[in-house]
Amino acid sequence: MNLSSVIVIPRPDRVDRVRSLLSQHPGVEVALVSPEGKIIITIETDGDQETVQTYEAISLMDGVMSASMVYHQKEDDPEVELSVSAPC
Amino acid sequence: MSVIKVTRRDFIKAQAVSAAATTAGMATTSAAWAQAPGGDGVRWDKGVCRYCGTGCGVLVGTKEGRIVATQGDPDCPVNSGLNCVKGYFLAKIQYGKDRLMKPLLRMKDGKFDKNGEFTAISWDQAFDIMAEKVKATLKNPEQGPFGVSMFGSGQWTIWEGYAANKLMKAGFRSNSIDPNARHCMASAVFGFIRTFGADEPMGVYDDIEHADAFALWGANMAEMHPILWSRITNRRLTAKHVKIHVLSTFGQRSCELADNELIFNPQSDLAIANYICNYIIQNNAVNKDFVAKNVTFHKGVTDIGYGLRPNHPLEQAAGNNGYPGPDGKPKGNPGASTPITFDEFARFVSEYTLDRAHQISGVPKDRLEALAKIYADPKTKVMSTWTMGMNQHTRGTWINNMLYNIHLLVGKISEPGNSPFSLTGQPSACGTAREVGTFAHRLPADMLVANPQHREAAEKIWKVPAGTISDQIGYHAVLQSRMLKDGKIGFYWTSTTNNMQAGPNVNQEIYPGWRNPKAFVVVSDVYPTVSAMSADLILPCAMWMEKEGAFGNAERRGQFWRQQVKAPGEGRSDLWQYIEFSKRFRTDEVWPAALLEKNPQYKGKTLYDVLFANGQVNAFPKEEAAKVNAHAWAGYTNDETEYFGYYVQKGLFEEYRNFGKGKAKDLGEFDHYHRVRGLRWPVINGKETLWRYREGYDPYVKAGEGIKFYGKPDGKATIFALPYQDPPEKPDAEYNLWLCTGRVLEHWHTGSMTRRVPELYKSFPDAVIWINPKDAEKRGIKRNDIVKVATRRGEIELRAETKGRNKVPEGLVFVPFFDEHRLVNRLVLDATCPISKETDFKKNACKVWKV
Repeated sequence: MNLSSVIVIPRPDRVDRVRSLLSQHPGVEVALVSPEGKIIITIETDGDQETVQTYEAISLMDGVMSASMVYHQKEDDPEVELSVSAPC
Repeated sequence: MSVIKVTRRDFIKAQAVSAAATTAGMATTSAAWAQAPGGDGVRWDKGVCRYCGTGCGVLVGTKEGRIVATQGDPDCPVNSGLNCVKGYFLAKIQYGKDRLMKPLLRMKDGKFDKNGEFTAISWDQAFDIMAEKVKATLKNPEQGPFGVSMFGSGQWTIWEGYAANKLMKAGFRSNSIDPNARHCMASAVFGFIRTFGADEPMGVYDDIEHADAFALWGANMAEMHPILWSRITNRRLTAKHVKIHVLSTFGQRSCELADNELIFNPQSDLAIANYICNYIIQNNAVNKDFVAKNVTFHKGVTDIGYGLRPNHPLEQAAGNNGYPGPDGKPKGNPGASTPITFDEFARFVSEYTLDRAHQISGVPKDRLEALAKIYADPKTKVMSTWTMGMNQHTRGTWINNMLYNIHLLVGKISEPGNSPFSLTGQPSACGTAREVGTFAHRLPADMLVANPQHREAAEKIWKVPAGTISDQIGYHAVLQSRMLKDGKIGFYWTSTTNNMQAGPNVNQEIYPGWRNPKAFVVVSDVYPTVSAMSADLILPCAMWMEKEGAFGNAERRGQFWRQQVKAPGEGRSDLWQYIEFSKRFRTDEVWPAALLEKNPQYKGKTLYDVLFANGQVNAFPKEEAAKVNAHAWAGYTNDETEYFGYYVQKGLFEEYRNFGKGKAKDLGEFDHYHRVRGLRWPVINGKETLWRYREGYDPYVKAGEGIKFYGKPDGKATIFALPYQDPPEKPDAEYNLWLCTGRVLEHWHTGSMTRRVPELYKSFPDAVIWINPKDAEKRGIKRNDIVKVATRRGEIELRAETKGRNKVPEGLVFVPFFDEHRLVNRLVLDATCPISKETDFKKNACKVWKV
């Protein structure tokens, strides 16, 4: 599993449309949207090649002003469970 | 608190979102647990991107001895967590399949043979033959000390460059060490020194968030400095009045955000710059107060040639190229100038009217005027940026001077938003090559080998006898290739660079030079580049996170990182190589007898004793490494410290600091850099300096002084009157197109790292030639046809591209140089700026035809 996060800045008048297009794109999940319209997505793929293609497709999407990568991690066993402490 | 179960996927996803949210300045309430570090066995630590001069901070994740993850470092003010696509794949660059693992020597019948096959040998055997070749070169009257030559890199870490510089200049007494930064930043350096008396920008990246207008002069920041471009984009989107002007010889990605696009004829940037000064003067926009207090005027000599071989007709005709004349004495000095008055300067630029600028450049008049206006308007804060378009230029020093002319004339300098900002290409061209002085004419901290006081200061810090350092300028990059071809270099050691691909005129100069039987060529690298394949001996190196390192980026920010993993096979860092190699030489083998007679305490010592085990470099015990880095993790050490038995990186850096102390080039304490996201020098009492030369920002400018360009004895910067001049080669009847070379976003330089990342390779596999659709049609060429492009020096075959990210005008073609199978530098003329000796990779005359 290949996982990355990207900040997408849509044109201010296209936020909803871009958000909708992104959530329909295979492998892409919309995680957060800020009041000013910045969208954070995660891209999950089986390999970096797919990730790059997804990223480039998003960069060229109608209404997207910029798309910047932030985080990237590979994981061979994504289903393994971890115990973590969470605040109540 | 409760304990919950999540999958690794969920954990990583939450971490990814959290990182992005932090960068975007957004709060996230979900998955607070993901912010706890180390939940999945990954050790995170701060680092610096391996690629461009932006110097983004990255967090590097290591698990079980391997880099498994990277992310933009949210705490690094350079990029605040952002990554570009090259930085995104940093975790992969060390793991290409064909990593060099062992020293390899060309051998036949068990002996070295320049035509033999590469055979694995030990490090000991490698140093044996290297030492033999160095000693033979030193004794050879045709070659001598300067025949021992090094071609280093702006991708060397700071202490690697420092150790190499010391070994060459104080050890072998050769000044023939030059970095690949000669090919990219030399014109910028000479521009700085000529105008300000001191190297490197006076502003910082913070200028981006203060500027009202941006002017990109021959720089494609959207592809080459993408994170800085993100910051500019952000500024443009959030401050609606901000305008972006882009000057280029062809339409490129940065133009997409341009409010004013100026496509100009190659070389005519010279005319445009003079026109802008003329406009400022004619429109009474000169900041008279600023100019009177802080500026002097000079007229530069003009008959300076083109850095070609002395027997070239253009050089024979040049009266001021500094080459020996018929009487054996140098013909003038290309950097010379004489004082003039402001009025004389005004008269000089007055011929660069709007009409003339338009005629020379081909840029529409309204666009030229719009550009001039942003400089002339006192209320508009302007940030000018430039890289290779201006530096890789036969008048590169001039055009750098002329950009400063503009900013100085209106006093738009050394304050937030008003910033002539020379962008650096490589991650440590500033921190290593320029500041450490790994140039053929330089010593650390802007000092010069030709200056007796500077040599004395260096000899004192280095604890070597007076007279050890030679006062002659050594062979610079292009001259090294010529000297190799002419048999004057007997030993040539190159590292962290790929000159067989990146240097000019490969067929006529570089290749025959390396294959000359009189030369022994050693290539230190991590992958089998074309340079490695052309060498006599290949040495396998440690790269990036496989060694403790430091880079200095374009805004004077030095950033350190710890060693995270070990190098594969027998790879060793360049630092280890230079220090270990020094053990092979005794002073009587490399220094003249007279020097040792005067200084008998050095007799019988090895260069290792003198240069490294000198009480300074070995001052910090092994245990110091764990102490200095205890905040990262317990028991930290690195391979060189373990091997040599002392914290060698700290010793070298603390010795090196002595050069800049009190000279406005002060670096911070070694320990401090390991704790923070870098420091911008001058660092005084742990505090960095953002804007230089201005009271209130620069600790070296006293209260009441206002502005002081203290690099110059009179504290004033110099405006130079310099003209437009044609390049040495222009399109003609037969070679009827301009050939411009450069880069694409996906590949760093010659692709030795990026082409081994499968995703980057596939995203842009082979070089193409961008050609205007009309030019293509005239030649019967359709998009995707295979074509040949040739200059008077060579030819290559490429696929033709008439669309996409670059829109070249009629009369010009563009080819990137990342592709080792389509070596465009075979076609490039080795003409240089005669002052900076930097090659012009942007202007050649070529012809194109369908295969």
